[in-house]
Amino acid sequence: MLWHKAWLETRWRFIIALLILTVMAASNVFDYLATQRLLPLVDTTVVPPAAEATGLGGMIRDAIEIQKDFRGFIWYQAFRQNLTQMGVFFAILLGCGGLLHESSKGSVLFTLSLPVTRKQLLGVRTGAGLTQLFAISMVPPLAISILAPSIGQHFTMVDALAHGICIFFVAAVFFSLASFLSTLFADIWRPLLIAIGIACAVALASVAVPQLAIFSVMNGESYFRTGSLPWAGFLTSAVIATALLYSAAETLERRDF
Amino acid sequence: MSDRHVIETAGLWKRYDEVEALRGLDLQVPSGSIFGFLGKNGAGKTTTIKVLLGMARPTRGEARVFGKAPSGNDGVDVRRRTAFVSDEKDLYDYMSVAEMIAFTRSFYPRWRADLEQQYLRKFDLQPGRNIKELSRGMRTKLAMLLALCRGAELLMLDEPTSGLDPAMAEEMLQALVGHVAAQESTVFFSSHQLAEVEQIADHIAIIDRGQTVVSGALDDLRGQYRRIQLVFEGNAPEIKVHAPGTHRVRRQGRVLTVLSSSGGDAVLEELRGYRPASFEVSPVSLKDIFLESVKTED
Repeated sequence: MLWHKAWLETRWRFIIALLILTVMAASNVFDYLATQRLLPLVDTTVVPPAAEATGLGGMIRDAIEIQKDFRGFIWYQAFRQNLTQMGVFFAILLGCGGLLHESSKGSVLFTLSLPVTRKQLLGVRTGAGLTQLFAISMVPPLAISILAPSIGQHFTMVDALAHGICIFFVAAVFFSLASFLSTLFADIWRPLLIAIGIACAVALASVAVPQLAIFSVMNGESYFRTGSLPWAGFLTSAVIATALLYSAAETLERRDF
Repeated sequence: MSDRHVIETAGLWKRYDEVEALRGLDLQVPSGSIFGFLGKNGAGKTTTIKVLLGMARPTRGEARVFGKAPSGNDGVDVRRRTAFVSDEKDLYDYMSVAEMIAFTRSFYPRWRADLEQQYLRKFDLQPGRNIKELSRGMRTKLAMLLALCRGAELLMLDEPTSGLDPAMAEEMLQALVGHVAAQESTVFFSSHQLAEVEQIADHIAIIDRGQTVVSGALDDLRGQYRRIQLVFEGNAPEIKVHAPGTHRVRRQGRVLTVLSSSGGDAVLEELRGYRPASFEVSPVSLKDIFLESVKTED
């Protein structure tokens, strides 16, 4: 029944996340035809000298080249941008809340009077959250695969699953971060805002420090470009997520209510 | 720690940052008793209950429920054998009455389905209603149902009738007494309502600033506590009473009032030496005992 409770507490966040991400993925599919009509009109040889000097010109040309076929367009628009950015946001949103947040609503004393340990309570909530996260990671890519034939294009299920797994592993890090922060703050806003702040900081820092390029793991760049999954990135993400969830469990265990 | 006591604490301390909520609390709750736990606001009643249920860890000292430490690995077993109703009676707003009952039932193998049906009817609770739509009184009834049906050996209730009108409070108390009589469980309840404590409790403890100041069987306390009032010809003398069991000496004009917890004979014997014009020994109510025990020193 703890699973049922966790589901009831998070179902609207999950359903909204699933709907928004799926609609975004679907709209990317249907945007492809319009984009294909516009792309030939873009003259990639005319790039301002300033942009050329900073390397921006090369990036623009690369972006246009990539998006000339459907697989590249979907990777660039959906996986590199929409699903990565919104996926991080919804992962954080799903990770927020929990036992400490219940204390601000008063029902925490009832929950804590049940014959279960705090680790069980956190474990069930984490399990439910990660299951939801897995669903919001996998369904949008699969929707792309299902909808692509409707515009005469093809996106394999294998590609969809591979990208879904890439999204899930890194999103799990931000979910775990939000879960950990939720054992420190009773409200839902501080964990949400701090985790989003950390995600933005990591995104900015990864420009200068390539080792921090966690979002290139999430968007499956290596799989898109070379066909190989980022196993090292998966392992690193799993280790970080586990460490954060362990810290959350220890913090919760020591806390007085 | 003995088998005769369901709850025992010894020198229990609890500090929250700069606040010492409990300061060496000693408590013994006999098995099978209805134990009233009294104290002013902020005296440490809720903190004690939280420590006894493993929701807060003691800073030092010992707390045992069924002979086990609630904040340790045995906490789950303690909570399986204990039913708890919090002061606020906050439940899950997103569930219906039926969902809340089904949720709670799943944790207690000894759940009493017969009592569940009985209390649903008695408390007029509609299973389909959402909890967020319930009034405070109905929430209290539901919280009591969830506690009484667990088949628990110990009921721990924090201000069970707070916020209820007198009729509903009486209904709750009657349900509680009826349940205890039938199920042979122990009830440990905190309250500000001295009248209801006198009505149903057979043992009490009064705590003040995190310490037990009075504890025992209510009948014994009533038998032991006496108010001795002496009237003098002139102003009452400024004296220090040495007789054991002297709780408080108050001078007001010609009248000297002494509260004694040892029957009053020894006090009277000592005070006769001051030659009062008259004296009177009278029994005291729980309210008197409470007020004298927790009164702030002038």
